[in-house]
Amino acid sequence: MVAILFKCALAAYLASTAIYAASLAVRRIAVAKAATWVLMSAFALHTIFIAFRWVETGQSPVISSSEAVSFVAWAIVGLYLAFQIRTKTRVLGAFVAPIALILVIGSSADIVDNFRTPEMLNTSWVTIHVILSLAGGAFFALACVSAFIYLVQDKYLKKRKIDSMSRFLPPLRDLDRINHISVIWGFMLLTAGIVAGVVWARTVWGTELQGDPKQVATLVSWLMCALLVHQRLAIGWKGKKAAFLSIGAFVFLLFAFVGVNLLFATVHSF
Amino acid sequence: MKIVLLGMNHKTAPLELRERLSIACDDERGTVRDVKNIPHIKEAFCVSTCNRVEVLVHTDDVNSAVARLKNLIYSLGNLTVKEMAACLYTYRDEDAVRHLFKVASGIDSLIMGEPQILGQVKEAYRLCVEEKVTGVILNKLLHHAFRTAKRVRTETAISANAVSVGYAAVELSKKIFGSLEEKSVLLVGAGEMAELAARHLVERGVNEFTVINRTYDKALRLAGEFRGKAAPFDVLEEQLGKSDIVISSTGAPGFIIDRTMIEKALRRRKNRLLFLIDIALPRDINPDAGEIDNVYLYNIDDLQNIADRNLKNRREEADKARRIIDEEVGNFQRWHATLQVVPTIIELRSKIDDITKGEFTRSISWMRELREEERFHIEALVQSVINKILHLPVTNLKEISENGGSDQYVAVVRELFGLEKDRHLK
Repeated sequence: MVAILFKCALAAYLASTAIYAASLAVRRIAVAKAATWVLMSAFALHTIFIAFRWVETGQSPVISSSEAVSFVAWAIVGLYLAFQIRTKTRVLGAFVAPIALILVIGSSADIVDNFRTPEMLNTSWVTIHVILSLAGGAFFALACVSAFIYLVQDKYLKKRKIDSMSRFLPPLRDLDRINHISVIWGFMLLTAGIVAGVVWARTVWGTELQGDPKQVATLVSWLMCALLVHQRLAIGWKGKKAAFLSIGAFVFLLFAFVGVNLLFATVHSF
Repeated sequence: MKIVLLGMNHKTAPLELRERLSIACDDERGTVRDVKNIPHIKEAFCVSTCNRVEVLVHTDDVNSAVARLKNLIYSLGNLTVKEMAACLYTYRDEDAVRHLFKVASGIDSLIMGEPQILGQVKEAYRLCVEEKVTGVILNKLLHHAFRTAKRVRTETAISANAVSVGYAAVELSKKIFGSLEEKSVLLVGAGEMAELAARHLVERGVNEFTVINRTYDKALRLAGEFRGKAAPFDVLEEQLGKSDIVISSTGAPGFIIDRTMIEKALRRRKNRLLFLIDIALPRDINPDAGEIDNVYLYNIDDLQNIADRNLKNRREEADKARRIIDEEVGNFQRWHATLQVVPTIIELRSKIDDITKGEFTRSISWMRELREEERFHIEALVQSVINKILHLPVTNLKEISENGGSDQYVAVVRELFGLEKDRHLK
């Protein structure tokens, strides 16, 4: 049952990605609309899948790396759909859907394996830490996508080249708003996630920081995010500069989430 | 089909001539009644705008109707025969239908794809319906034209994208700001084009409108017109910091807004996006202001280029629209072909046979208990009632068709008995 749900969600993500790609090719909003509906159904299936798995295994469904990846995909899509309701930024989905698809395919590698959560990690602190950090990451992913589209649209408008592509892309201000909200929420969640992790580390290891590469990378990217939030709120950075910085912050964050586990031996890999 | 369309438009007739005819047709109700009163004309429809006059009729004698219609137009427009011959076009049947569809879809318009004409045709049709000069055929035809126009609009990009400088400015504003509500516009100076652009923006719901002019009275007058505020020229810098969209069109010989002013304004508005439209000649805003981040500067040539390119796109879309129109002309012709008497009678008979059979099947449970002879009598009785009822309408239909002009009757029969719907179901 669970495996079928997962496969259905995967298929729906694939379909949505394909329809979004078609919408970019023909530059018709109607096509993108259809893709959004498919993405919505994919999200619903994915939600049911995660809920089922939670009930079935009785352990929080975010601890193993494949589960974490699947959760990030779910969060990104959910956040995007929430924004979609508020703003007319359908085209964002054309980037969100493939990202979700890749993540879900990646997570499928060992999703059905029976991952047993190590005793040490089977506490609600860890679940909170992981969910908050990953949700924060999802916000930054969305900020990065909207920043990227912002830069493309900005280029069109600056060059005074209005063609079917620039017409198809969302207005600058909407993209900037999504970026703004995502960055602030992402930063808050990430901060809370790190605090939760620190509290847990103290109870288990007796110390907050071991100079572990993952912790260092996360801290660096957290500082970048903090800088971005500061520039946005205090200095009033908008548009292009904020877009560039949020792409940079996300790249660092991605490195902290994924890259470190691949490159370094870390106590943080499970 | 016996449908005829006479008319003249901006391509065939000079403005002065169209004017004369259009003034003569000013009393639209009267004109259309005059047309309808011509012998042999069964239904009539007229539409006249500043770019065209079109008269569409359904008649049972094409040649005589055309001749009399032309006479009417001569006398109405006070035109000479020579003028007429040069300007007036006459389309018949399929060509008339196609022309009407083109007009309604905006393909025949001066600015290709402009949507106004559809509204004008609809309004003219409403008048004709009120005057009771249209009938089954033209009603169907006009509704078909509206549907075709809608298809053309949704399936092609012929009405999409701005083809005037003013609308191009609106389109760009939307690409930058999304919704224009809660946005403020600053108009510096007053030129016709700038006023027009401002008017479009105000129509799109911008929140605040401020006019700055060297002559304060002029600013006041314009501000009153747009329900905005007027401000003296020396607060220009301050106003720049408060506005999202700036339209400049002063007669100043040099730049009145430069890079430093814009940089200051941007600081004041915390880097919120700023859209500068420079419609002045010579230009008002130093082009290097457009290099600043979050500032988008467009001058009159940029806007004109966008409008021109869009117009070119529309012309390309016209081919698609023509294909849709051909398709719909075909649909209309197919409908029209059903108006022949014999197939309609056959359809009517078979529909009533179906009903009879259905009722007998429904009654099978109690009829089974009757003797065979009784059943036979009941069936014979029903059949004979049906035959008696159908006899007169069917013979009359045939008779009318032999005299020509049965179209309307057939159409009514098809409508009343729901044969149209059945055809669609099949």
